Amino acid sequence: MSWIVRPVIGLIPRSVWNASVRYCHWRMSLLALRESLPMRAEPKKKKKVDPRREQAVRDRLRKRLKKLERVPPELIPIEDFITRTKFLDESRVRDPPKLPVEETERRALLMKEWSRYKQKEHEKEAEMIQSMIEAQQQALQELRLESEELYQAAIKRDQGLFPLELQGCSFTPPIANYEAPDGKYRDITKVYTQ
Amino acid sequence: MAAATLRRLPALGGRALGAGGRQGTGRPGSWLHSVAGGPGHTPRLEDWQRCGAVCLQRAATLSREKNPMESAFAQLLEQVELEKSLYSDHELQVFEDEEKIRWRQAEDYDSEEEEDVGQDIVTAQDLEDMWEQKLRQFRAADREQEADKKDDRSTLNRRLDEKLTLLVKEKVGDEEIWLLPQSEWKPGETMRQTAERTLSALSGRNELQAAFLGNAPAGFYKYKYPKAMRTSDTLGAKVFFFKALLVNGDLKARRKGDYVWVTKSELKDYLKPKYLRQVNRFIFDTAAMYP
Repeated sequence: MSWIVRPVIGLIPRSVWNASVRYCHWRMSLLALRESLPMRAEPKKKKKVDPRREQAVRDRLRKRLKKLERVPPELIPIEDFITRTKFLDESRVRDPPKLPVEETERRALLMKEWSRYKQKEHEKEAEMIQSMIEAQQQALQELRLESEELYQAAIKRDQGLFPLELQGCSFTPPIANYEAPDGKYRDITKVYTQ
Repeated sequence: MAAATLRRLPALGGRALGAGGRQGTGRPGSWLHSVAGGPGHTPRLEDWQRCGAVCLQRAATLSREKNPMESAFAQLLEQVELEKSLYSDHELQVFEDEEKIRWRQAEDYDSEEEEDVGQDIVTAQDLEDMWEQKLRQFRAADREQEADKKDDRSTLNRRLDEKLTLLVKEKVGDEEIWLLPQSEWKPGETMRQTAERTLSALSGRNELQAAFLGNAPAGFYKYKYPKAMRTSDTLGAKVFFFKALLVNGDLKARRKGDYVWVTKSELKDYLKPKYLRQVNRFIFDTAAMYP
């Protein structure tokens, strides 16, 4: 009777079917056969609530995701402001220096002299700027007396001036015919992404 | 900024100046124009030749040395910084090594007790000595150039720690005088274009590349021609100076004796007094400011 259990029961002819039913006394009805076997070829019955329920589940997940995403991005730590714990070690603390009175006196007087020096320097710089401004003002005045259109051209903003790139100073000039040694370096800077 | 300050100046009354109206009312010998002369004054159409001049400067490539005040204060700051700091890893290592040496030279030293013998082949002190030696082996280039020793002022490779200005020798009338390069204004161009033309006329194609600092002139000088040169029209010339920074290139096309690159203190060796007085108002360099 093994051929009865095969799922291709629709292809079994009637005569054979009837014969088998007469001999299978434990079978109640013809249709019971179909119910007892797991019929995978047949499509499942669709419940109308299912797509709506699935959609509801998906919406809930999306809401939860949005809540998580709304968290503000973590701030990038400024490494200069974080004191490393190894520097809080007591063995690193220097003994305070025992300075004689003359030394403290000298330091105090030097600080005062420095502030006077800086004040004079600032005055000189202000004078220099003032002198340049006055010279320019006079030049523009004279240009205006000469010709109004030249003056108008002179007071226009120079659009091509910026960005202006200038090379800074070093303390010694570059060595002539210097061959820099070859080398490799590993860049270990920490790069943070938000 | 120039425009804003000029608006605050009292209105320059007198004649309305349209395009092309060049009515100078300068009395001979006066510095600034006096506007609207007295009732009996008949206005003379005096022409002043307009000129644009360029004040070409090469910026300093080296920083200046500290003067005594600055070096004393820098030293003080270093001392204080050291006193307030913590010990570094290197210094701690030096202390550890000293401890170890002391321990080894103690009387009850047992060489078998010592752990990790192989680790102190190179002590921190040795490292310090090696670094010191390496530093002494390094030779930096000289700050003072050859041209400084010979006092050769016609080259750009002198006084790298100062701003240098270009001066040229021109024939005005009978005599040859030193001045900032200038040329006459042609109708149809702005004053800045005159200055740019002067610059390109100095050197030929693309030899001197400069960045002009703005459209406005930096200074002004007015002079009368010597009697021989004065025609019925032109009484003298008005020069407008424009500042420019040298970006690239050098002056090669001119004859050697015709031009110099000078600092502010050396200007007086070349320029006439009145001219110098005007030019000094807008040319500055570090030696003048920070002695």
